Amino acid sequence: MATVLFYLLSAVTLVATLLCITRKNPVHAVVFLVNALFALALLFFLLGAPLVAAWQVIIYAGAIMVLFLFVIMILELAPGQAMASATRLQLAPAVLLFLLLLVSAGLIIMQDPAGAARVERFYLSPRDFGQALFSRYGLAVEIVSFQLLFAAAGAWYLGRRRRVRREEERR
Amino acid sequence: MSRELIFLIPLLPLAGALLNMLGGRFWPRRVTESLAVAAVAGATLAAALLWPLSGGEGTTVELFGWLRAGPLQVPMVLHFDRLAACMALMVTGVSTLIHVYGTGYLHRKEDGVRFFVLLNLFVFAMLTVVLADNLLLLLLGWEGVGFCSYALIGYWYREEENASAGRKAFLVTRCADVFLLAAILWLFQVTGTLSITAINAQAPFLAPGTVTLLALLLLVGASGKSAQLPFMTWLPDAMAGPTPVSALIHAATMVTAGVYLLCRVFPLISQSPTGMAAIAAVGTLTALYAATCALAQRDIKRLLAYSTMSQIGYMFLAVGAGTVTGAMFHLLTHAFFKALLFMAAGGIIHLAAGEMDLFKLGGLARRAPWVFWPLLAGILCLAGIPLTGGFFSKDAILLASFARGGTFYQVLGLLGLLTALLTAMYSFRLIYLVGPARNSIPGEAHHLPSSMLWTLVPLALAGLSGGLLNLPAAWGGNQWLEGVLSAPLIAEGEAGHGLELALGLTAAGLSLAGLLWARWRYAGKPEPRPVGTSGTFFLKGWQADRAIETLLLGPFRAIARFWSTMVDERLLEGGVFLAARSCEGFGQQLRRLTSGRLGHYLTAMAFGLGAIMVWVLLQSI
Amino acid sequence: MIVPMGHILIVSTTLFFMGLGCILARRNLIMILIGIEIMINAAGLVLVGASAFWRQADGQVFVLLLMGVTAAEVAIALAMVVYLYGFKRNLDIDNFDGMRG
Repeated sequence: MATVLFYLLSAVTLVATLLCITRKNPVHAVVFLVNALFALALLFFLLGAPLVAAWQVIIYAGAIMVLFLFVIMILELAPGQAMASATRLQLAPAVLLFLLLLVSAGLIIMQDPAGAARVERFYLSPRDFGQALFSRYGLAVEIVSFQLLFAAAGAWYLGRRRRVRREEERR
Repeated sequence: MSRELIFLIPLLPLAGALLNMLGGRFWPRRVTESLAVAAVAGATLAAALLWPLSGGEGTTVELFGWLRAGPLQVPMVLHFDRLAACMALMVTGVSTLIHVYGTGYLHRKEDGVRFFVLLNLFVFAMLTVVLADNLLLLLLGWEGVGFCSYALIGYWYREEENASAGRKAFLVTRCADVFLLAAILWLFQVTGTLSITAINAQAPFLAPGTVTLLALLLLVGASGKSAQLPFMTWLPDAMAGPTPVSALIHAATMVTAGVYLLCRVFPLISQSPTGMAAIAAVGTLTALYAATCALAQRDIKRLLAYSTMSQIGYMFLAVGAGTVTGAMFHLLTHAFFKALLFMAAGGIIHLAAGEMDLFKLGGLARRAPWVFWPLLAGILCLAGIPLTGGFFSKDAILLASFARGGTFYQVLGLLGLLTALLTAMYSFRLIYLVGPARNSIPGEAHHLPSSMLWTLVPLALAGLSGGLLNLPAAWGGNQWLEGVLSAPLIAEGEAGHGLELALGLTAAGLSLAGLLWARWRYAGKPEPRPVGTSGTFFLKGWQADRAIETLLLGPFRAIARFWSTMVDERLLEGGVFLAARSCEGFGQQLRRLTSGRLGHYLTAMAFGLGAIMVWVLLQSI
Repeated sequence: MIVPMGHILIVSTTLFFMGLGCILARRNLIMILIGIEIMINAAGLVLVGASAFWRQADGQVFVLLLMGVTAAEVAIALAMVVYLYGFKRNLDIDNFDGMRG
């Protein structure tokens, strides 16, 4: 049962991602990506990471993708101009990547044709997760919190109002 | 008399040169001149006083060891035997007279210091050549005379042609010196020593082929300095130098260094009949060649230069015919009268304010008798008028050639007689153009300083009486020089007094014939005939310069140009530029990678990733 | 029991290459950023799968930290996108070649 679910969710993720990267409209792309991220979160849940799954929805789909939408909408709202971005697809990298994908997949299969290394049913409770996080990875937590701080500072700096300069540039 | 005093002979002129070099700027001209003259006079005195030391086997004295490197032993050693003593006395004596002459010759405002330093330095180098017992030491002196000759020919270097003449002299003699160097190296390899006495002692034990080749190499080496064929083109041009230089270097001393060298190694070269024949042939052919050219010359100094070339040819013939005495005899008398002729010519040119064309230098007999009569004396010696020094010495050579036997030497002897006729002709041509009062010396006659006049007299006397040096028995003489040099005049066979007398009469007849021809041609109407192609041919030394230009210098320059443009410029420099520009081009191509476009960068990253994955793939297979 | 590890890896590899393709093929800045997100998620999937395979918590912790970093990165990236849009009035990456040469 879990196996079937796994393959189903994988298929959803892949299809959604494929659709995402081929959309002209960025909003459509973001929406499809949210779809893919939902499926991915369920996959995480299946693989015994309930906390991570929750965070995937909350942070990734809920915050980061929303942020993307915000920015798209902000820029969209620039007066009288559609997003004049070209979305040309190029064939050569695509072909290359496809080939690489085949090669990698082949490699992976060749390592273990029979599928002997299997992921067993696993479940990590939040308590165990918290224990691991704050005991062994305490320093990393601190560092990431620093990083969030200066990211916020940087984003504020980059985004502050520079009306005067913008008007100068327009002239 | 201490033996070490022999070193004074070369070292006094060297000291004079050094003192003048260092201090000549500070003291007046008189002091420079006196110092220079005193140095050479001192050397003469030393040579004269040390004469007794040269008897028998001679005296060898070593100053210090110069190079000592295993088998190569080159000590500073001088060998003072009769041959060296005669030559040294001649060199120093004539040099003293010429130095005195030079003091009057050089204008007050010209750079006297350089002149006298170089003259003294030259005498030092020449005496090194004369006295050296070691071939390397001789080579040192050889190069020294070459350098001083170059510097003195180009004394008035501000004129392009004087500098070129000096260069030409240096380069042509240099080409010949290579052969001399080869001979020295080979001699060292064969005999293990560079000492001339030792080599001469070993000479009979060397392989005949080796000796012949060595003799030929030495012949070529000597031909350069002595202006024999084919290295003779520099001597006429060398007349661009001051007349004392021409008199000293290109008449009496440097050009005779070749003859002297051959005399020094005579025990070696006489072992090879081929070598001797070659030497004789070169000498005779040069003598004939130079005599024909001298007959066509208009410039007085060039005429004397060709004459010198011709007379040295006679000396080479003497060596080739096997008689060192004959060669040295003629060398000594020639030194006297040729130096005299050059000095007289210098006086004439001075009087005519620089005019050198024979056809414009008339009237000397009346205008300046103190120059004319010594000139006449010199000409008589040159032409071989009976009883002059020149007569006996030239005769001795021809006698040796005829008496040696064999058709080869007979032919050479006949050519020698022909040359004697030509010599007489051009000698008296000179007198008849310069003496009588036609086309007189134009303008104000410049006043000649006395030092340019009285120095002519001793040389004239020496030339005229030079026959006494080796008066043949047929004339009732004691053959003094022959005894002194202990070198027989006649190599093989006995030449009867009959041959000697016959030869003497023939020579006398030829010289008188020359006199009569010149009188007929020039006494009445010394107008130059328009010069046709044959005249130009002889005037230009049988177009030797042009021949060398076409045969040697032209191809040389073409080859140099080829290597310079085709190889050096295009190939090497082009190659370097190509490398540089391709690096630059490659850099420019690389530059296209930094397009600033994000898409390109990402693509590049993807390709890199692909490469890494391929590598991993290959690793795991 | 549920699934071979290899399959998880294949899925995430495919996701990763799709993200890479998005980056290479699209000219819009926003789309490139989205491609980056896809790639990071693919990595996250591998980590969680490995954590389940080895039955340890470390992979999941790593995913958490990854999300934190990604959030910071996206914040700044989008701020820059807004800024750049202000200059060129469009988001075609070919326009931004000021670093040329």
